[in-house]
Amino acid sequence: MAKKPQIAADTRPWRDPSAKPFVRISNVTKKFGDVYAVADVSLDIYKGELFCLLGGSGSGKSTLLRMLAGFEEPTSGKIEIDGQDMTGVAPYNRPVNMMFQSYALFPHMNVEQNIAYGLKRDHLPKAEIADRVAELLSLVKLQDYGKRRPDQLSGGQRQRVALARSLAKRPKLLLLDEPLGALDKKLREETQFELVKIQETLGVTFIVVTHDQEEAMSLATRIGVMNYGEIAMIGEPTDIYEFPNSKFVAGFIGSVNMVEGVVTEDEADHVRIRSAELGCDIFVGHGVDCAPDQILWWAIRPEKIALSRERPEGDANITKGVVEDIGYLGDMSVYQIRLDSGKHLRVTQTNTIRGNPDAITWDEPVYCTWHDNAGSVLTV
Amino acid sequence: MSSFDIDNPAPRRHRPWTAVERAFAAVGLSGRALVIAAPAAWLTLLFLIPLAVVFGISLATKQFGKPPYSDLLTTGDGTVQLTLHLSNYVRLFTDSLYVAAYLNSIKIAFISTIFALLIGYPMAYFIARSSDRWRNILLMLVILPFWTSFLLRVYALTGFMRGNGVINQFLEFIGFQHVINGYNAVLGWAGWQMPSLPFVMMQTDFAVYVGIVYTYLPFMILPLFTNLVKLDGALLEASADLGGRPMRTFFSITLPLSMPGVVAGSMLVFIPAIGEFVIPSLLGGPETLMIGRVLWDEFFTNTNWPRAAAVAIAMLVVVVVPIMLLQKAQDAVQDTARTK
Amino acid sequence: MRRGWFLPTMAILGFVFLYAPIISLVVFSFNESKLVTVWSGFSTKWYGELFADPQMLGAAWLSLRIAAVSATIALVLGTLCAISLVRFRRFRGRTILSGMVSAPLVMPDVITGLSLLLLFVGMESILGWPAGRGMLTIILAHSTFCMAYVCVVVQSRLADFDMSLEEAAMDLGATPARVFFDITLPIIAPALVSGWLLGFTLSLDDLVIASFVSGPGSSTLPMVIFSKVRLGVSPDVNALASIIIGIVALGVFAATIFQLRSRPKKARA
Repeated sequence: MAKKPQIAADTRPWRDPSAKPFVRISNVTKKFGDVYAVADVSLDIYKGELFCLLGGSGSGKSTLLRMLAGFEEPTSGKIEIDGQDMTGVAPYNRPVNMMFQSYALFPHMNVEQNIAYGLKRDHLPKAEIADRVAELLSLVKLQDYGKRRPDQLSGGQRQRVALARSLAKRPKLLLLDEPLGALDKKLREETQFELVKIQETLGVTFIVVTHDQEEAMSLATRIGVMNYGEIAMIGEPTDIYEFPNSKFVAGFIGSVNMVEGVVTEDEADHVRIRSAELGCDIFVGHGVDCAPDQILWWAIRPEKIALSRERPEGDANITKGVVEDIGYLGDMSVYQIRLDSGKHLRVTQTNTIRGNPDAITWDEPVYCTWHDNAGSVLTV
Repeated sequence: MSSFDIDNPAPRRHRPWTAVERAFAAVGLSGRALVIAAPAAWLTLLFLIPLAVVFGISLATKQFGKPPYSDLLTTGDGTVQLTLHLSNYVRLFTDSLYVAAYLNSIKIAFISTIFALLIGYPMAYFIARSSDRWRNILLMLVILPFWTSFLLRVYALTGFMRGNGVINQFLEFIGFQHVINGYNAVLGWAGWQMPSLPFVMMQTDFAVYVGIVYTYLPFMILPLFTNLVKLDGALLEASADLGGRPMRTFFSITLPLSMPGVVAGSMLVFIPAIGEFVIPSLLGGPETLMIGRVLWDEFFTNTNWPRAAAVAIAMLVVVVVPIMLLQKAQDAVQDTARTK
Repeated sequence: MRRGWFLPTMAILGFVFLYAPIISLVVFSFNESKLVTVWSGFSTKWYGELFADPQMLGAAWLSLRIAAVSATIALVLGTLCAISLVRFRRFRGRTILSGMVSAPLVMPDVITGLSLLLLFVGMESILGWPAGRGMLTIILAHSTFCMAYVCVVVQSRLADFDMSLEEAAMDLGATPARVFFDITLPIIAPALVSGWLLGFTLSLDDLVIASFVSGPGSSTLPMVIFSKVRLGVSPDVNALASIIIGIVALGVFAATIFQLRSRPKKARA
């Protein structure tokens, strides 16, 4: 669902150092009393992006969004939108619209009046407002619901009215606060597609706040992971998943096996780490910025580990354990392997063969191996 | 979607109201202070200062003239002299009339509150447990008398309880006199004589109890209802499931959980009952001493304003503790309402 | 849960207790005889007498005017107070303001009445205003205690108010003043209406405070009724009470039906 990569240069402006960002957040800090809700965040977002701010509750993602909308003023730092400094600009004067988590549909107005509200504030001619409302209603497929009150709509319909209302003024930037949070799982998946489609059709820049990592992975062009008011990592979904820059990011997204180790060899083209927990050496096939004898962490995703009954060739990246538990999920199975050190490894295997009689089963001793690029070395 | 042209956003039309709106917004900024200041000033002038004035005048003495009390500050020989009299307060403690009035007010308010609770609790519980449709109708029936005149409701009771009133007529009609006669024939010799009809109810303390319960019952029922309706039905089922009989469930689950409602409702009856004037003067007899009535007589009949002021201050002292209890209970009711 | 006989019986007895005196009052207002409680035939003569009594009518008119003005002042001030307490979470004197506005709810009427009278007398002797007591002083007194009720009603409505509604309007280009009139006001309107009505009824009903702060020639309806019924029953008061009860009952019924009607219909999925 992420945007199809077309020509790398024009779909990924963040890879181009000379590209001009559309939204520039520089060193923004927000304090409530003595508490830092957002701490020194700098972030560039480019035109046409669908940027996800991902984080747990209290990570500061919503505060950052509210500062973009103008509901909160930064304690320090600067926000620029389309080259314009937003300091001191009231919410009603910003070229930005927001879709609220609660949808915030005006209960005393019908769907049409809700959508038309922003247009009326701009004093557009009546006919133009009517045209635009009709257009928006068809965009969100609610043509027959214009006269309904919000309390006569289902959750999914309300969500779409909220979206239509926030798009009515053709904002340059749309902020979406947990846009799918109030929907049930099935509806959420359908709506994700629609949201991306609308965003691509209109070419509006979206900034989406979410706590749902799957949602972020499938929606976003880029993700900003937030933790304790700071940006932990910014990157494309694949970067965030495959090349996390810290223990926090590795653990926050997807499941991961994390072990501690000591650097024994530190060369330009490879690194060797001894891990007592793992019971073997880890050979990493690229250089890492570290020092000999440094203690660091190595993280690997469950699907990057292979299981075998026979010991594979090699002196590193091989450890032995016993299958303690198997969780059968249909498309794949999750193995819980207990290593000699007592440490557990989580390994997933795709169930490619139907009813495989030869599958590794409970209490079997197995070898776990992985490719020398499969894991991430983390120093923080 | 050709009209969604991002680079050419909708043109902003001329906005004739902008200037006015800006002016509003400019006021809006300092408006915050105004919004607070207006009610604060009003209440300071018409609530806080009057209380201070009452306290001040309670330290003066009665004198003939206009106004009928002595000045606290007198100027003479170029000096300002402050004269405070504690005599009014001394009288409150030494004159048995006042002491009796205070004690009697508390007694009447307390007994009425208990009765209101005993009648109001089952009603509130019943309403809370009834179906949605009935609940609204019954609640409306509880609130409706509250919107009609308090004075007229007290008046309605006088027609009800007098010698040839509805109750006595009804009792006579159903032949209650025979019951009394029978009762007296059996137990009369032991000294437990029952008076014959018509019962004398008006101008007794009994009438005052009935009056207070009657007029303040909605105040008891509403907080109890708010509290009881939030009560989780699953708790009762859990208790029954664990073998609690209905009575036991009530005393070990329902009642303790509804305590904030009980306290709030009781205080809402007790506090105004203490200072009640209309009910004792319309329903009570001449010997039904209540502090509100004493204050009224002191002021209107004896025109002793300083004494009335001292009575008021003493009454405030009596109701302060119940008011604090009420505040706490109401916060608790709010909290349970919010967590649900 | 199985329901026993106890609760329904108690509830029925309770409602009988609440309504029997009122119903008998209405019934006997149509009684021919002057004896309020002995039925002697149907008649509407007491209603005729009521409307021929200039003292009653004058007092009623005065009370209605006082109630309307007091409820309106109370509505404005009580709403401002509720906004201050709910919206401006922190400001100096917040506790004092919240205490001052809720105290009149539980303050015995005799104290409120006495304290205001003493204030007015003192102000008159120092400032020369208000000159004498009458309608103006009653309005000042009633506005003060009614505003406490308005504040409570509006406060609870504002506390439930979804702040993001206002933010959404502002986000769509509405200035703060616009937001207030377009969004806030319509949504809290039901609370304002019930606050005003509550103030109006309370003012119309008050005997004690008005007795303290009124002056010669400005007897409100409750004062007239009180002086009448103190001397004994009077059938025209029954007639008046029946009229008031009728109006209130109609109003409450209408309000309840309106409320049930405007309740959100079940959303279609």
